[in-house]
Amino acid sequence: MNGFARPTLLVSLAAAVAIGGWYLFLQPDTDMASNASTKSLSSVGSASDGTALRGLQARYKTLSKHLSQFMPQQSYILVDTARNHLYVKRRQDVLLDAIASTGSGIILDKPGDGGAQWIFDTPRGEFVVQSKLTNPVWVKPDWAFIEEGLIVPKNPADRVEQGVLGEYALGFGKGYFIHGTLYTRLLGKNVTHGCIRLNDGDLKNVYQLARVGTPIMIF
Amino acid sequence: MVVCAILLLLLSCTFPSWGAEIEAFPDLNLNDPASLKEGSRVLEEELKLASRPNTYLVIDLVTQSVHIKARGVDLHHIPIMRAFVEFTSLLTGTFRVTARPAVVRRKIDPTSSVEQEPISLADMPTYYELSCSPDLTLAVLPTAKDHPLQWIWTSSHRVWRHLKQWGRAWLPTDSHSPRPLLELTLSAEHAQSLAWSLVDGMPVVIRRVTDK
Repeated sequence: MNGFARPTLLVSLAAAVAIGGWYLFLQPDTDMASNASTKSLSSVGSASDGTALRGLQARYKTLSKHLSQFMPQQSYILVDTARNHLYVKRRQDVLLDAIASTGSGIILDKPGDGGAQWIFDTPRGEFVVQSKLTNPVWVKPDWAFIEEGLIVPKNPADRVEQGVLGEYALGFGKGYFIHGTLYTRLLGKNVTHGCIRLNDGDLKNVYQLARVGTPIMIF
Repeated sequence: MVVCAILLLLLSCTFPSWGAEIEAFPDLNLNDPASLKEGSRVLEEELKLASRPNTYLVIDLVTQSVHIKARGVDLHHIPIMRAFVEFTSLLTGTFRVTARPAVVRRKIDPTSSVEQEPISLADMPTYYELSCSPDLTLAVLPTAKDHPLQWIWTSSHRVWRHLKQWGRAWLPTDSHSPRPLLELTLSAEHAQSLAWSLVDGMPVVIRRVTDK
């Protein structure tokens, strides 16, 4: 590098650092309106028209009310799969806050099925309680045998296991349930095959608070 | 019959529905036409989403928060530390996240006695870029404290975009359609929480800042 190029390079670098520093450290962090590349929306030109303003207000309030009408009017169940909590809520009130276990996210290959897999996630979205059971028995699906390296039994009676799901179960479709567990030390962790596990006390409360048709929102 | 009707009327007055009590945007200035128009626009989009059994996002650039919602109910909200927007006027309508951030999932080996660790929030990325349809790039960026090197890199990119924006005022108009960009700076924990909650095809509605 010759004697002229080096000072030029240093000056250029200094200028770049100065510009970057001005932007990063002197621009306010949370001032959205001062963002140079944000083209903010402009207000309605002649907003002095009271009638137009009242019309806008009425429209906004009507839409707000319509949105509220989609909200559950009675109790609903909310499941936070990231933090493994289950809530029963009515409007803004929390009726129950329970530690749960939800899907592990682990995958298991289906043997001889061309690359198909089971993915043990708790499904997301809105569901409803479809069934309420007492003293449920577990009819083990194929994956419960395959993951243990066992052969899937041909006799359906060999799939039944009692006393592992607690005293109650609430089904919400496609084989997913809210049920009890023998592994209460694992509550609060993502360890299930998709179902939602609770301890005995919380499970009983949920069973009593929920009805068939109660919404279940899972995220 | 008349008595029943009167009783019902009295009951409906005594117990107002939830709909009368909840306002969608409590911070909204009801005397500002631009805010009302923007709030109404967002509600019109949200009504379409709330009518279906899915979760969706409302990114509120006014209150600087991301809301995970279903049926109009706020399930969880995440604070935005900083937001950067390009082509605000294009952030209308409903966008859909093409794919959630990729996460490596463990696989069960039936022949092994070793148990696989389940996936958890800690497995989620703390910075990522999401493509949405229609065209929108939604980037979640780290803070300087969480990932200093990545922060320097993304901040340099932002400075470069500013320079390009200024340049556009002097140079001939680019023939390519502008692609809107929304960058959200979140704490590591909140970025992971958002990544966890995203699903493929998740709808996103954005409430924009309006001029005062």
